[in-house]
Amino acid sequence: MSSAITIDLILKIWRQQNIHARGALQTYTLNDISTDMSFLEMLDVLNDQLVLAGYDPVAFDHDCREGICGMCGAVVNGQPHGPETETTLCQLHMRHFKTGDTLVIEPFRARAFKLVKDLVVDRSAFDTIIQAGGYVSVNTGGAQDANSLPVSQKNAEEAMDAAACIGCGACVAACPNAAAMLFVSGKISQFALLPQGHPERRERALNMVKAMDEEGFGNCTNERECEVSCPKGLSIRNIARLNREFLKAAISLP
Amino acid sequence: MNLDAKIPAGNLADKWDKHRFESKLVNPANKRKYTVLVVGSGLAGGSAAASLAELGYNVTCLCIQDSPRRAHSIAAQGGINAAKNYQNDGDSVSRLFYDTIKGGDFRSREANVYRLAQVSNNIIDQCAAQGIPFAREYGGQLANRSFGGAQVSRTFYARGQTGQQLLLGAYSSLSRQIKLGKVTMIPRREMLDLVVEDGHARGVISRNLVTGEIERHAAHAVVLATGGYGNVFYLSTNAMASNVTAAFRAYKRGACFANPCYVQIHPTCIPVHGDYQSKLTLMSESLRNDGRVWVPKHRGDSRSPEQIPEAERDYYLENKYPSFGNLVPRDVASRNAKIQCDLGKGVGETGLAVYLDFAEAIQRDGQETIMRKYGNLFQMYEKITDRDPITSPMTIYPAVHYTMGGLWVDYNLMSNIPGLFVLGEANFSDHGANRLGASALMQGLADGYFVLPSTIATYLGQCSFDPVTATGEGFAEADDAAKKRLDKLIGLNGKRTVDDFHKELGRLLWDNCGMARNAEGLQRALAKIPELREEFWQNGLVSGTPNEFNQTLEKAGRVADFLEFGELMVRDALDRKESCGCHLREESQTDEHEALRNDAEYSYVSAWQYQGGKSPVLHKEPLSFENVELASRSYK
Amino acid sequence: MRIVRRFCGSSVGKKVIMAVTGMSLAGFVLVHVLGNTAIYFGAESFNSYAAHLHELDPLLKVFEVVLLLLFVVHVSFGVSLFIRNRFARPQRYAVSQSSGGRTLGSVTMFYTGLIILAFIAYHLWSVSFSSRPFMTSIADLIRAHLQSPYVAGLYMVSVSAMALHLSHGLWSLWQSLGGSHPAYDTLLRRGALALAVLVGCVFVSFPILAQVWDGFLR
Repeated sequence: MSSAITIDLILKIWRQQNIHARGALQTYTLNDISTDMSFLEMLDVLNDQLVLAGYDPVAFDHDCREGICGMCGAVVNGQPHGPETETTLCQLHMRHFKTGDTLVIEPFRARAFKLVKDLVVDRSAFDTIIQAGGYVSVNTGGAQDANSLPVSQKNAEEAMDAAACIGCGACVAACPNAAAMLFVSGKISQFALLPQGHPERRERALNMVKAMDEEGFGNCTNERECEVSCPKGLSIRNIARLNREFLKAAISLP
Repeated sequence: MNLDAKIPAGNLADKWDKHRFESKLVNPANKRKYTVLVVGSGLAGGSAAASLAELGYNVTCLCIQDSPRRAHSIAAQGGINAAKNYQNDGDSVSRLFYDTIKGGDFRSREANVYRLAQVSNNIIDQCAAQGIPFAREYGGQLANRSFGGAQVSRTFYARGQTGQQLLLGAYSSLSRQIKLGKVTMIPRREMLDLVVEDGHARGVISRNLVTGEIERHAAHAVVLATGGYGNVFYLSTNAMASNVTAAFRAYKRGACFANPCYVQIHPTCIPVHGDYQSKLTLMSESLRNDGRVWVPKHRGDSRSPEQIPEAERDYYLENKYPSFGNLVPRDVASRNAKIQCDLGKGVGETGLAVYLDFAEAIQRDGQETIMRKYGNLFQMYEKITDRDPITSPMTIYPAVHYTMGGLWVDYNLMSNIPGLFVLGEANFSDHGANRLGASALMQGLADGYFVLPSTIATYLGQCSFDPVTATGEGFAEADDAAKKRLDKLIGLNGKRTVDDFHKELGRLLWDNCGMARNAEGLQRALAKIPELREEFWQNGLVSGTPNEFNQTLEKAGRVADFLEFGELMVRDALDRKESCGCHLREESQTDEHEALRNDAEYSYVSAWQYQGGKSPVLHKEPLSFENVELASRSYK
Repeated sequence: MRIVRRFCGSSVGKKVIMAVTGMSLAGFVLVHVLGNTAIYFGAESFNSYAAHLHELDPLLKVFEVVLLLLFVVHVSFGVSLFIRNRFARPQRYAVSQSSGGRTLGSVTMFYTGLIILAFIAYHLWSVSFSSRPFMTSIADLIRAHLQSPYVAGLYMVSVSAMALHLSHGLWSLWQSLGGSHPAYDTLLRRGALALAVLVGCVFVSFPILAQVWDGFLR
């Protein structure tokens, strides 16, 4: 039934019962993994084996398995979402590994992302940041005709590039400083590029940056790790735009 | 039981206006005295929670993921319909209404569908105002594209990520209300039961998925926006956490389940490639605009596609439906792929796939043009399958995608349990027996932004202002039942994993209650499902404890409900001895083997009522059509 | 006051301050390296450059104070950012692997900064504030200084660290100030690297010349 090519792997997975428990890397060997499997399907196979043998399966977050919900994510051999560019863990296929490979699988690590269990972390800090200003304050029903605000195609496309963020947290995981700048800058950029976002742009920039700092993320040191790890290819040009927006707001608002 | 749809009298076009005028209102000062509980945070739930909070109600919102931004609405690719007529191509509310009701094969309510078409325009206005980066023309105006089942260009889109952008729009409105303190957002919660007291929905029991704690949530009204049940088939395009539990628990508490057998099967998905496969990936239907579907003429032909000469290929859609060719509707395309594979002409490693070939289009338009149109889809395909559609044809196969059935609701979106409202894919109301492309987003947002905020006042207006508490008998009983059930699940110490049961159930339903059904197969499934369920409770295996983050336990609870729900689906399919919408009932075909609808006998909504240990009772809500003529669909 | 507090208290504001002070300090380094090219033309020319510089005296004092202030701000904000960044990831990864963004310059920023700090202290102590014997010219002092292989080695290591620091800093400051555009992004990045290498080469050439060439600053 399945493809003929299979590989054998050594997995070193971070196991930690909960935030209070001590965690450690545990080693598993996993044989006959079809190279057509996705990374998460490989973990499914491992978990099936663990459950049948009476062990606790590895907890990992996942949902849509088509690279858009942003739920999955782990650091594979030091790289968030593994070695492929612009790929979420669920879209990473085992054909990118070869037999005998050792895969070290760790959760996204940041003070702002508290560990829940094994590879599962709490990313609610991202929600808190959005709540601080990642919206246009328009009540349902109060909208003008959709075509009354023209938006240049270029700006609409750039806004869409920025809005493509799936909130997975890979940027934080990849950043040497666990900074959330790429995430925040995506939302700020989207609204800075569209006229709908302009009435609140100053407050938005200040409030979202403040929330980001309060959540305990680090500072950007422009090392570009976020950009190269982002499964949706968000550019750090958005961070530059965030810096501009912040600068303008910080010196103009009383 | 009398299922009163409460459709307002009068002219179709005036019904919604008239209804809003005649509905009760809740005075702004009194709105803050009411609490509404919204379960689910997708397009329907998220938009409803935000809009209700804007109006002044206190809202509590539960979601199953770690953030409301991850609901599965996010995966919708194509777009959202609206009758804006920005293209000046003859679109109107009436036309959107007609296309939708015809697309649903005349198995939905006229009044609901007309209202949907009416508010479609407000949705686009609202979403544009939220700063959703819709595609634009050079002049800055909104761009449209055409979509299956319509001859006008009325689909608004944000690249291939329209669902994501619309969901993030609703999420941003929701976030604003959370910050303002009007919405209490509670993520990582799974609803385990509905609490009904004195005949009214009063709250839910949920499980904290991190700590395992069982919690009670009380409210003046409960809104379920918990999505569809496509995962009953195990393999579907749904997200892994999508499940029927919330809706099914409501059913067990007395809410009627309508049309459970209406399942949409999408023709262009990446085929199954192994037993380990956990999910199916959809490829946009737009591929059929340029791709040609074919299989080898001879069964068991195992040559690679390039080696099969033109004369030995069967372009079965073009041959069978000369006027629509490869662009026949979803159900026809899906069904014919299955027929070819059943004939042994399927291709690929499993024999469960057909070719979608771009060679001719590439020759005609050049590779560059084709890549510009479909480049991102080709990349996605190559990422998953490691094959390049430019050099060899794609393989595709149908997959379960959307469920039109759901909890029965009236015109106010209230179920037959007073105070229980159901929105989005979780209800049955607007798509009949088949949903048109780009209509799911429209319905979810219509329900959440515009319909519920108006109609809920009629119910709340007659509730007392007294704060609701979670201490009543109903809560105690449901709380206890939920805990007992979890204990029973955690006690399962057999030899088969939960997924194993789920897969078997899925195969059983796919084979017997999928695109094509017949009485014999359905009877077989009806006999087999209870056996499987019995084995699950005897031989299932669940690890860990209930008081921790335990994904095996979560899954077990959902599969246990699927094992009961599957039976209801089969029962409904057995009852409906006609072919309509997405499914072909083999006993009901024309001489040319096309689907034959039976309006005389089956023009009704099937609403199933739970009867405890006994078989459920079928209530029929007749469908009457005063404004459209029932036509049969032909794509020859 | 509120604006200042809001600005200095935020991570982005701190980065802007790092960028502005960094840019000023880099400007000083550029002027310094330009001035030092007088060394290539012999002792006389270098001494006269130094003498001209001292003619600007009251201005020079102001300049020194400003420079010191910039320096103190750059260092203290840099240290505070570094501490916060370490704090933001309490548990390190077992495997650390770049996805391709980091450069040698960016990774070592804090450490090269520390080397520069130590070097400047030494440099001021040994050159600017040294109690040189009466009538010894600045050229003689530098020559004597750099002819010691230890001192020359120290200089080479330190100015290399500075070049590395600049290679990231000269680009990074534009990004922090919000100046980024697809049209000149690559140019900025390459320009920063080229400038850093050039400055490094010129600075490093002095100790090398002092070691290998008898005519150095004669």
